[in-house]
Amino acid sequence: MHFRIRQGHWPSDTDAPLQAIGGSKPPATAAIVGADFPGLRPAFAVEEGDAVSAGQVLFTDRNHDQIAHVAPFAGTVVRIEYGPRRTLSACVIRRSAEQALAGHENVPLDANTDAAIRDALLGRGMWPAFRTRPFGRTPDPNARPVAIFVNATHVAAAPNPHVVLDGRMAAFTTGVMALRKLTDGQVYICQSKGDPLCPTTDGVSVARFDGTIASGLSGTHIDRMCSVQSGRQVWTIGYQDVEAIGHLFLTGQYASDRVVAVCGSLTDKPMLVRTTLGARLADIAAGGFAVDANPVFRSGTTLNGRRAVFLGRFHEQVMVTARTIAPTQLSSKSQLSRQISALIPKASLERALAPRILPVPLMRALSVGDSETARRLGCLALVEEDVAILSRLCTSGADYGVLLRQVLDELMEDAA
Amino acid sequence: MTTGFSFAAGVAGVTAVQVVALIAPSIVAAIANPTEYLMLLLTALTTVLFWEGAFAALRTRTPSIHGVTTALIVCVLVSPDLALWQLTLALSLGVVLAELVFGGRGFGFLSPAVVATSLLVFSFPQVSLAPGTTNLALATIPGAVLLAFLGLISWRVMLSAIVVTVALLKMSADGPDAITIASAMAFGLVFLVCDPTAASVTNPSRWIYGVLAGGLIVLFSGGPTLTTEGVVFAALIASIFAPLIDHLVVLIDARRWRVADA
Repeated sequence: MHFRIRQGHWPSDTDAPLQAIGGSKPPATAAIVGADFPGLRPAFAVEEGDAVSAGQVLFTDRNHDQIAHVAPFAGTVVRIEYGPRRTLSACVIRRSAEQALAGHENVPLDANTDAAIRDALLGRGMWPAFRTRPFGRTPDPNARPVAIFVNATHVAAAPNPHVVLDGRMAAFTTGVMALRKLTDGQVYICQSKGDPLCPTTDGVSVARFDGTIASGLSGTHIDRMCSVQSGRQVWTIGYQDVEAIGHLFLTGQYASDRVVAVCGSLTDKPMLVRTTLGARLADIAAGGFAVDANPVFRSGTTLNGRRAVFLGRFHEQVMVTARTIAPTQLSSKSQLSRQISALIPKASLERALAPRILPVPLMRALSVGDSETARRLGCLALVEEDVAILSRLCTSGADYGVLLRQVLDELMEDAA
Repeated sequence: MTTGFSFAAGVAGVTAVQVVALIAPSIVAAIANPTEYLMLLLTALTTVLFWEGAFAALRTRTPSIHGVTTALIVCVLVSPDLALWQLTLALSLGVVLAELVFGGRGFGFLSPAVVATSLLVFSFPQVSLAPGTTNLALATIPGAVLLAFLGLISWRVMLSAIVVTVALLKMSADGPDAITIASAMAFGLVFLVCDPTAASVTNPSRWIYGVLAGGLIVLFSGGPTLTTEGVVFAALIASIFAPLIDHLVVLIDARRWRVADA
C-alpha cells in the first residue's frame, strides 16, 4: 500500500538533521509529565527521596491499577507534583551514579499468549506507549483494538527510523509480533519510503506514506486505512516504543532510551541524540548551542510542540530557540485570546487536513463546543496534533487542539 | 517569523488584501467621474469609520478598519449622481445590520456591501446602480487573481456562477455576447458573490452556491441584459441560502459513517 498525502504544509529541508546518531547523552534528570496523559490520576508506589531502580514501578493509574508507569533509570525520586484534582503534574527522578540492579532478571519473557503479553506490558511500564483512537488516551487494560497503527514515518526534522532501528531490527520485529497478538485485525506499519521495516506476514501490513507533514500523523494513517467513526477503536504507537517492547520480551529489561532530533535556531546544526524517555531538554541539547545563549526549549514538532522542561512521552523532536522571541510570541497569543477574532473561511483551510473532514464546519463546531456536530463531522478520528495546523492557518487565533480536547472529553463522558 | 506570519494572516490582513484588490476598480470608477466619486468616497469612508468607531467604543475594543472595503465596493457600485444622504443612510444600515451587530467582520453571514446596496435600491425606487463597464471588468481581473491566489475567493464559486449565467443567457435566442456578460457581472461576482464570509464554506456547497448565484443573476436581471441590481440581489439571496447549503452538505457528509457501519 502506498499513499501520497497532499494536504497540509510541505516539509522544508532546511532544518532536517544529519541522519546519524551523534552520541549518547544520559540526562541528569528525567520526568514523567502529566501533560502527556491528560486526566491521569496516579497512585504512587514511591515517595519523594526514595531510591528507585530502572524499570521500577513509580505509580499506577488509580482507575486501572494494572497500568504501571516505571522509572526510566536508576536514581532518586526528587519531586512529585500533583495537578488539579489529584492528577499527575510531574514525577521527577535524578539519576544516581550506582546502577542498582533491577528486580527483573535478564531472561526473555513469554510472548506467546495475549494474556502473558498484556501482563508484561502493563506491569513493566510499556502499556502507556499505546494511545487509543478515538480520544487519544491510554487504552483500557482489557480492550481489544480493531487494528494497531505503528507510526514509523519520517517527516521533515524527525529522526529517520531506518537510522534509529539500525542494528535493532530484531527487537522491532519481536515487538511487532507481540502487538499482533493483541488485536484480531491488522498491525499496520506506517513508514516512509525505503525498505520495509518489517516483513509482511499474516496480520502485519506495511503501508507507505509520503508527501506533506500530515503524512507523519497517525490520524492520517487511520483515516486512509481503518476509519474509527463507527464505534471501533484502534491503537497507535510509535516505532521506538515497539522496539522497546521487543527489547522487553527479548531481555526482560525495560528499555527507556530514545533517539530524538534536536533542531532550532540556537543549535549549531540539527542532530540526532540518543537520550532517555522524559529527559530534561536542557540535558539533551547541552553542548549543542553557545554557552551564553538564553534558550527556550520546545518538545514536539514545529506545529504541535509545546514549551517544556522535559521531553514529552510521545515526542521525538526538540527545538531550541532564542528566548528573545518568546515574549512577543506570548503577548501576541494572549492578545489574540483576549480579543476574539473571526474565522475567515479561506481556501488554504480546505487543503490543511489530511483526514477527509470538512474543515470549516469542524472549526465552527469546535469553536462553539458543539460536540454533536463535531462528532458527525468526524472529530473522533482526530487528536490535538492533527488539528494543530488549523490553529496556525486560521484568522481567529483559536487553539483548536484545546477546543478539540474539550469536545472529545465531552464525547468520552457521553460514551462512558 | 511566526508572529509576523500570523499577524498578516489575521482578519486585518484579509481586509488589507481586499483593499489592495479594490484599488484598480476604484481608480476606474474615479476616472469616469472624478469629483462625484471623490465626494461619494469621502462620505462613505466617514460613515463606515464612524460606525466602526462607535461600536468599538461601545464594546471597548480597538477600532477596526474592515468597513473600508465595504465603502470602496459600494462607491464603485452606485451611480455617481447618488445623493450623499442616501448613501450615508444605506451604508449605515448595511454596515451596522450586516456586520457590526454580529461583532464585526467575519461574524455575520451577509456581505455588508450587498446589504447596503440592496437597501439603497429597495428604499429609493428612483435610484439605479451603475452598470458594469468593460474597463471595470478588466480592472477587476488583477484583484480577482490576487484574491483567488490567497484563497480569499473560491474559483469553484466563480466558475459555476459564470457557467450557469452564460448557459442560461445563451439559451435565450438573442443572447448577448460573452464580453457584455463579463462586463456586467465581473465586479459584482468577485466582490459580492464570492465574499468569503458570505459564501458557502465547503467545496461541494461552493459549487451549489455558485450555480444558485448564477441562476439568480439571470432571474433578477429580468431579461437578456444583466444589471448590477440583478447581481446584488442574487448575491443577497444566495448568501442567505449559503448556510443552509452548508448544513445539507454536512448532513450528507455524515452519512458516510452510517454507510461504513452497515
